[in-house]
Amino acid sequence: MKSVKKHHPLSRLIVCSLAFLLLFSVNLSAQEGDASKGKQLYNANCAACHKLDKRLVGPALKGIGEKRSFEWLKAWIKDSQGLIKSGDADAKAIFEEYNNIPMLGYPQFTDQDIADILAYTDGKPAPAAVSATSDVDEVALAAGKKVFNANCAACHKLDKKLVGPALGGIAEKREVEWLKAWIKDNNALVASGDKLAKDVADSNPAAMTAFPQLSENDLDNLLLYFEFGNKPKKAVVVDGGSNAMYENEKAGVWSTLGIALLAFIVLVVIIAGTLKKLPGEEEHEENLLITFFKNPFLRFLFLIFSILLGVWLLFGWLMQIDVNEGYTPIQPIAFSHAVHSGDNKIDCQYCHSSAKHSKTSGVPTANVCMNCHKSISEYNGPLFDGHTKEELDGEIAKIYDAVGWDADQGKYKEDHVQKPIEWVRIHNLADFVYYNHSQHVTVAGLACQKCHGPVEEMHEMTQFSPLTMGWCIDCHRDTEVDMTENGYYKKIHDQLAEKYGVEKVTEAQMGGLECGKCHY
Amino acid sequence: MASNKKYWKSVEELGESSAVVDTLRQNEFVEEIPTDEFLGDKETLESSSTSRRDFLKYVGFTTAAASLAACEGPVVKTIPYVIKPEEIIPGVADYYATTIADGFDFANILVKVRDGRPIKIEPNKQVGGATNARVQASVLSLYDSKRLQAPTANGEKISWSAADTAIVAKLNELKEANLPIVFLSGSCASPSTKHLIEQFKEKYGDVRHVIYDAVSESGALDAFEEMYGMRALPEYNLEKASVIVSIGADFLGDWQGGGFEAGYAKGRIPTNGKMSHHAQFESNMTLSGANADNRTRIRPSQEGLALIKLYQAVIGGISTMEMSPLNTAVQKAAAKLKEAGSKGVVLAGANDKNAQLVALAINKAIGSEVINPAVTKNVRRGNDADVAQLIKDMNAGNIGAVLTYNGNAAYTLPNAPEFLEGLKKVKLSVAFTSSNDETASAVQYALAAPHYLEAWGDVMIKTGSYSLMQPTIQPLFDTRQYQDSLLKWMGNDQSFYDYLKASWSTNVLDGASWNQALHDGVYNAPALDVTVEAATVDINAALTALGKQSNSGEFELKLYSKTGMGDGQMGNNPWLQELPDPITRASWDNYLTMSQADAEKLGVKNWHVANGALNGSNVEITVNGSSQVVPVIIQPGQAVGSVGLAFGYGRTNGLKEDMQTGVNAFPFYKGYNTTQTEVSLTLAEGEHEFACVQLQNTLMGRGDILKETTLETFNDHSLDPKHSWNKVPMVTLNHNEVEATTVDLWTKFDRSIGHHFNLSIDLNACTGCGACVIACHAENNVPVVGKAEIRMSRDMHWLRIDRYYSSEETFVEDNEFKDNIDGLLGETGSVQGFAKLEDPSDNPEVVFQPVMCQHCNHAPCETVCPVAATSHGRQGQNQMAYNRCVGTRYCANNCPYKVRRFNWFQYPENKEFDFNMNDDYGKMVLNPDVVVRSRGVMEKCSMCIQMTQATILQAKKEGREVRKDEFQTACSNACSSGAMIFGDINNKEDKVTALKDDKRSYHLLEHVGTQPNVVYQVKVTNKA
Repeated sequence: MKSVKKHHPLSRLIVCSLAFLLLFSVNLSAQEGDASKGKQLYNANCAACHKLDKRLVGPALKGIGEKRSFEWLKAWIKDSQGLIKSGDADAKAIFEEYNNIPMLGYPQFTDQDIADILAYTDGKPAPAAVSATSDVDEVALAAGKKVFNANCAACHKLDKKLVGPALGGIAEKREVEWLKAWIKDNNALVASGDKLAKDVADSNPAAMTAFPQLSENDLDNLLLYFEFGNKPKKAVVVDGGSNAMYENEKAGVWSTLGIALLAFIVLVVIIAGTLKKLPGEEEHEENLLITFFKNPFLRFLFLIFSILLGVWLLFGWLMQIDVNEGYTPIQPIAFSHAVHSGDNKIDCQYCHSSAKHSKTSGVPTANVCMNCHKSISEYNGPLFDGHTKEELDGEIAKIYDAVGWDADQGKYKEDHVQKPIEWVRIHNLADFVYYNHSQHVTVAGLACQKCHGPVEEMHEMTQFSPLTMGWCIDCHRDTEVDMTENGYYKKIHDQLAEKYGVEKVTEAQMGGLECGKCHY
Repeated sequence: MASNKKYWKSVEELGESSAVVDTLRQNEFVEEIPTDEFLGDKETLESSSTSRRDFLKYVGFTTAAASLAACEGPVVKTIPYVIKPEEIIPGVADYYATTIADGFDFANILVKVRDGRPIKIEPNKQVGGATNARVQASVLSLYDSKRLQAPTANGEKISWSAADTAIVAKLNELKEANLPIVFLSGSCASPSTKHLIEQFKEKYGDVRHVIYDAVSESGALDAFEEMYGMRALPEYNLEKASVIVSIGADFLGDWQGGGFEAGYAKGRIPTNGKMSHHAQFESNMTLSGANADNRTRIRPSQEGLALIKLYQAVIGGISTMEMSPLNTAVQKAAAKLKEAGSKGVVLAGANDKNAQLVALAINKAIGSEVINPAVTKNVRRGNDADVAQLIKDMNAGNIGAVLTYNGNAAYTLPNAPEFLEGLKKVKLSVAFTSSNDETASAVQYALAAPHYLEAWGDVMIKTGSYSLMQPTIQPLFDTRQYQDSLLKWMGNDQSFYDYLKASWSTNVLDGASWNQALHDGVYNAPALDVTVEAATVDINAALTALGKQSNSGEFELKLYSKTGMGDGQMGNNPWLQELPDPITRASWDNYLTMSQADAEKLGVKNWHVANGALNGSNVEITVNGSSQVVPVIIQPGQAVGSVGLAFGYGRTNGLKEDMQTGVNAFPFYKGYNTTQTEVSLTLAEGEHEFACVQLQNTLMGRGDILKETTLETFNDHSLDPKHSWNKVPMVTLNHNEVEATTVDLWTKFDRSIGHHFNLSIDLNACTGCGACVIACHAENNVPVVGKAEIRMSRDMHWLRIDRYYSSEETFVEDNEFKDNIDGLLGETGSVQGFAKLEDPSDNPEVVFQPVMCQHCNHAPCETVCPVAATSHGRQGQNQMAYNRCVGTRYCANNCPYKVRRFNWFQYPENKEFDFNMNDDYGKMVLNPDVVVRSRGVMEKCSMCIQMTQATILQAKKEGREVRKDEFQTACSNACSSGAMIFGDINNKEDKVTALKDDKRSYHLLEHVGTQPNVVYQVKVTNKA
């Protein structure tokens, strides 16, 4: 029985040799970190969850090299889950402290990479984060933005009418004291008989919430933000560096092939040379190769070798047919998972809500998009993939076009013929495979990233895993089933644990390798 | 006058004679094309390195390369809803309770809906619902592309508003003219529709409602009315019966609307040493006769005589000592009935008031508890006299309008030509119909009605039990249900849904919740304590009238409805067409059933051709003057002098070409009588090709396939079942006789952990109804292959119901006969002996045996598969990985049960197989959880692994153990008689666990040592 492996044979060989070469080079070089290289790596791989000076999803990393040993950190970064499972007390404690959110494994990092990153996190030359000086107090402005986002953004925008009026430059229209009083308790202001307040209140049917909890300082910052918040910002372009780690493999293919070819030629020359020196043979002035091909045995050997090589290469090539790893089709909307799930930390299952109930994870319907995009009609984050802000706003407008939302009026258009958004399906399983998301998400409790990769870093969604049967089976072989929490497994677990004499049984021991479990 | 104006392209043309212009007139180019330069110069051509051949090669290569480069994977779109309905989670099935009431079948059902598409019908067991094969298959009729898709007027499409305007104007005209408006419908037991028609009457004056049934039970209704004062059918609870005597009543078929299997089967399973006794008197071999303990063949016209004799013996105490088989059987039945007292019941089949009266009188006299006149059924309400009157009035020009619904009168009426003639004389004819049938093409307005799965409605199947019908899909076509039309024509803007809801809250619910009723599918009104008193009826008059019936012809014809086709309204349903008749095992056909004796007399033959298919002679049958040529199947057990023919075939309107099968028997249905005595038969020319799935008719004494015993033996506790009536085969091991089950070629495998599925099939409870076959079809996307393929034994049914005849009177005698065969030649020799065993007896015993993959723990198929495509699961399922199969068919070869099916062709998307899978609508019924197999792979019963896996997943998600009897398969779910019980034998509480170790249980071909996970229960008969 031949099991289908993750990589086809050729690339496996290549990867092996590449890894061998890398191992060499790493061992030769000293464990001295290069902070600038480290910064690059850090931004590409760590920055989504870590900050240097602050706890984000994961802990702050500044000075982490002084807290933990290099060996421990290496193990943790390469495979944090493995370290936790190995029973390391520190690892467990960290895992629990950070709400059992597993850290992604980075097995592709070399020791040198890790040393580079640590050089960056421990080093003093922390890149200037807050140092810009200008006319406006940037710190106060940032604080004001924070207050705005927390309290006002649901109903207001700076430059546009949403539920409430646009607030950009409002201080030019109203007096500062009046504004402060209004924000703190607009009802009281209306009740006090303030005419302006009454007019404002009447002009808008939706009553504004009172914010008595805001301090004087907060209000000052907020007003500062109203004034300067919408000044044009320099666009920040995020480079696609995070993809680098998945591309290494391909880069090495040709050089290794070259090496293999060279080795082969050398071998041939040696053989031919040996041939020539055979005793009893007359010396010829002939070309080495001609001598080689004149020998019937060697010719036969060469033929056999060529055929075998050809078959091997052909088999490898055939096995990768329809393995669409890295498939990144152009979608009807330039939807960025990195923005939604990475920057804004929206839970995967908020949009893909079927995943916990159904075999399909479900592409979110446009009404789910509208839950947020009713109030978010433009994109203000860092630009990516060469899109301009106008383009990205246009992408949001495509949702409005589908559902018939009038962003200016803030309501649905009447008599609009709604049309579905036709996404291009990335993960296509063959019809004869039955895969159920809820089994893996709800029952097994797997993170989506396990199969779909670092989605929170992908601007363009791409197929991360090969989705071959070998890939499925490999996971089923190794994965231990957590049976402690689920009433279904109780009896089966006790019996199986006794039968196999293990604490935890794997999916394979449960019968997860049987053909009929997925093919019906 | 033509214009003389001259147009020119260049001034050159204006000149008198220009060489250039002349040349241009002749040629496209002024100068000659220098073809010689590149063609004429042979030398240059030959010296060119690119010959013509090379050029073509280059072209070929570039074309191939371009097309190869285009070989990219297809781009698959994924299109979500714009706004998702709250109750739908893509990929999760929803179940809706609804009711089928198509005028022929009535049942409370659950509809499985996946992503907005109904894909399967299941019985609503919580309210006692049961399904037959037709109900199971009705979901496919929803996706019938030949349905009437829009309203039409005289065959032309018309808009609803135009139709409304025209019809309302006509109706008003008729009201003015005081001409009657008549609704002609099949049995409709809808309280709200009844109410609606009452209101329609108020609006349009003379409105009448005539009800008719395709297969009439008018006689039974009239008899019941005479005795109990109400025109209805009584309820029979056969579970309570210890003796059932049926005279011509195929109550396991469609007698009085059917639905008696469940109760019957319960009484047939021996519990505490008791089971019911069933005596059947009939001419055709029916399902009921096949299941009976004592079956007596009588000519249809003798049914009256049998009833009279039975009446006299039971009530009058007169037993004639006449030496006829009929009399002996009747006396035996009478004795049994008397012994059973109130636990006995008599059922009469004839559509004849007198016969029904006598049966009711006997039941009353013995005080039968089985019949319950207080609870009546509304499933058949037709009135033959009313229909006859209506047709007469129509032809006399006295009828203003005929509006038909819930029926296909132009096809099912015995005097359809008269009806059609009359239809031309009415001012307005309207048919509300979902199918583009004979009636639809005969009326002025054929108004497209939705399928019942797209419509609202209610129906009172039984007294006090109100069922609701709800839509489970958006209407596929431009349809409107007839109640909505009526409301519109009455000037009422309400929708029927609102009307129904309002009607229920005032008339039915009595404060109970509408939502709850809709959820359950049924609302049971509080039982009223009604006692129904039987009126004294002069039975003697009925007896005298019955006695006068006599046969006059040489032959008699008994008409019946088939398990698959029923009254023919689902003629375009390939599942039903391909469902083999449980008795003859023939599909895609209608034929005359005839006894061997009559066949010999007429020179009729059945024979097998080279590829094993069955062919037969044709005869011309003439009934009361009308005649047709019909093929004949020789039917063991058919009463001599009688022939049988089924309704429901011979339709052409609105049917795909492949579905236009058989001959129409309705023209023979004179006087709504299923018994026709003026029959003559003559051998006709030609031969007919049948599609019969079972060629082996008898069991040939192979007691290891099918075990049978009598109730006395079963109850004899001195016998060890393993060595008497449920023998375990013995083999010799080390010169000792040991039980075959103890010897094993394979290594044992521990199955004590997790689930271990078993399916138990009780041969006593299986009536052969075929509901499981269709359920399996629907659940597992089994393709329909068509008549030609079936003739080549390429049927794809994963589940077949084998029917065996005995060669002697009983199977037990068969076994004895076989055991006593001795030597090669002579009376008891094997040559003659086995030849004799192949002939079924004239009145054989019949057994039905559902066979599907036995899921052997030690499966021979797994051992021989060269690519390991079939393998064993620890849950007991023999698994088939289609994507791995290369089609060597070794497994089918090595399977002792012959349950593996090979995909000889690509059945979906193939014009050659123009059934549901080659149809954009028909494909909507496919189950998305089961793959559609492609050409060249083997397939077979998977023990519904998709269902067991779904049950396990549900339990896991809820974090609990699987509940008792929660595991189901499609067949066990559909089985209303409780013959198929599925479950986990590692769960002590599951029903199947006890059944597996029952003393009746055995495995098929136990001596092969395959250790199947399907167990059968020995059949026990209770003969008198």
